[in-house]
Amino acid sequence: MCRALYVLCLLFLLVACGSDDSSYTDIEDENRVLDFPQPDFFPSPTYDLEANPPTEKGFELGKKLFYDGRLSSTGVISCGFCHIQEFSFTHHTHIVSHGVNGALGTRNAQPLMNLAYMEDFSWDGSAAHLDAFPIIPITTDVEMNESVGNVIEKLKADEDYQSLFAAAFENENIDADNMFKALSQFLIMMVSADTKYDKVMQGNAVFSEEEASGKAVFEAKCASCHSGILFTDQSYRNNGLPINPEYNDIGRERVTGESDDRYKFKVPTLRNIALTYPYMHDGRFQTLSEVLNHYDSGMDHTENLDPIFINDNEIGIPLSDTEKSQLLAFLQSLTDDNFILDQRFSEF
Amino acid sequence: MRILAFLSLILVLTSCDDDDAYLVELNLNFEHHVDNEVLVFNEINYENNSDEFYSISELKYIISNIQLQNKNGNWFSYPVEDSYFLINAGVEESLIVNLSGIPNGNYQNIRFGFGVDQSNYPLNGVNNFVPTAEENDMLWSWSAGYIFLKFEGEYQLVDPIAPENFLYHVGSHGQNLDNYRTVELAVDLDLNADTQLDISADVSKIFDATHQMSLQQKSDIQIDPENAPKIADNVVEMFQIQMN
Repeated sequence: MCRALYVLCLLFLLVACGSDDSSYTDIEDENRVLDFPQPDFFPSPTYDLEANPPTEKGFELGKKLFYDGRLSSTGVISCGFCHIQEFSFTHHTHIVSHGVNGALGTRNAQPLMNLAYMEDFSWDGSAAHLDAFPIIPITTDVEMNESVGNVIEKLKADEDYQSLFAAAFENENIDADNMFKALSQFLIMMVSADTKYDKVMQGNAVFSEEEASGKAVFEAKCASCHSGILFTDQSYRNNGLPINPEYNDIGRERVTGESDDRYKFKVPTLRNIALTYPYMHDGRFQTLSEVLNHYDSGMDHTENLDPIFINDNEIGIPLSDTEKSQLLAFLQSLTDDNFILDQRFSEF
Repeated sequence: MRILAFLSLILVLTSCDDDDAYLVELNLNFEHHVDNEVLVFNEINYENNSDEFYSISELKYIISNIQLQNKNGNWFSYPVEDSYFLINAGVEESLIVNLSGIPNGNYQNIRFGFGVDQSNYPLNGVNNFVPTAEENDMLWSWSAGYIFLKFEGEYQLVDPIAPENFLYHVGSHGQNLDNYRTVELAVDLDLNADTQLDISADVSKIFDATHQMSLQQKSDIQIDPENAPKIADNVVEMFQIQMN
């Protein structure tokens, strides 16, 4: 009885107030949910779009945060400082990342694209979720050298941010949760899937002979790790890089504590690979030719070298000069010019 | 029209509280002991089951996801986004966890998490705990992960030998290893007014419970896939409801 009465009253309440509040729907519409640009030939996103749906205002806020130096202790190092759009959000002039006061990191900034499809983040998988990833660069002393708490205080004191957070989030709070959600909304919208390779796969373009031969070499010799439409199986492997004693970076072991993970790093995506030099976790190779030479003849048999590189007591992937130039041609077809020119992601 | 709506609202608000439901506050008060003595930092040498003498300089841990089970077997979950707490045995104010808005009633079990549950991470506002964790050095910045337990001090085998430092830092290892644990304790909690529940933590259990930890064997445990889960198992056993 009580329940029925309750429902009736509730219904009446809803009906009674409907006609008075003509502005109600306008407020709803103000912060439009953005269409996630899912290419139909991509897998489903790993990112939970329902838990944090990208909205117009959230994206705008995320973009402002991404390009704001106040996320660092010195006020000048923004995310966009090391992740530059025209290089598919990497950094060229530095081998490893540069932080506040010219501090040097130990790893090469990774490209930012198709993050909605990744299982975990950074070269060693140390961030299990995109919403937690920014903690690493913000708090690392050789990067932004700031505290998340301090960033929040700076944002709270800023009138622009007060209105941007209020517009982007229902609870209107300027807090870490909303800051990271806004950054993720900006980042997951960066889908790059408009390369010549994609056009060929859709039947809208044709590979040159060189590119087609390169694709065949790629499929025979590279695609077991750089697999699928994202060109990575997202695993961690040791690809036989000689150990750089300056860093002695143990890779994924730092995250898992497992000695089996020593010297293993995430297999990177190859999308936009022509734009994202230098290469490898420590940026040791400047060109793709150097990378191919490494696989052909430059490997060291270090601890946990991936068995895929060991055949008949020989290590590496033998590549002829012809195969190398064919591969280079094919890798060029993975560049998405529209992505790096996309105004939605540009600082200015 | 508006008046009618207002009247309905009052009816809605008043019509269903026929079982005298109201909300109360529950304060969880954490007390730290070693065996049966109140924990004293630095000055006292305690002994573990491995015949090692240790003193404690720091003990901090995260608790989360607090739930209460009433006599009918139903669980009440405290709002997850508000249920992350840092307990620092050396800081008085951190020892009382204030929970408000709990439905009155009689409860038979309390449950809470040790650490941060990865399966929820980072939903439910857990990222709002970052600044607190950061201030208390309970964040591995390079891994974007929480440190669930920091337990540090000195140890020695026999008196004349100079003491050495020990350090246990436990958290989850990326997505590789989850060291989050759930603690469940039976209570007889008559929660019909604001109440304090004393929870005692016997710190000696960190060394000696399900697993026996020897400092001589390993005194520095961080991101250790073999030993960190053992410490987490032991931590679960250190809590006990204190009867008054």
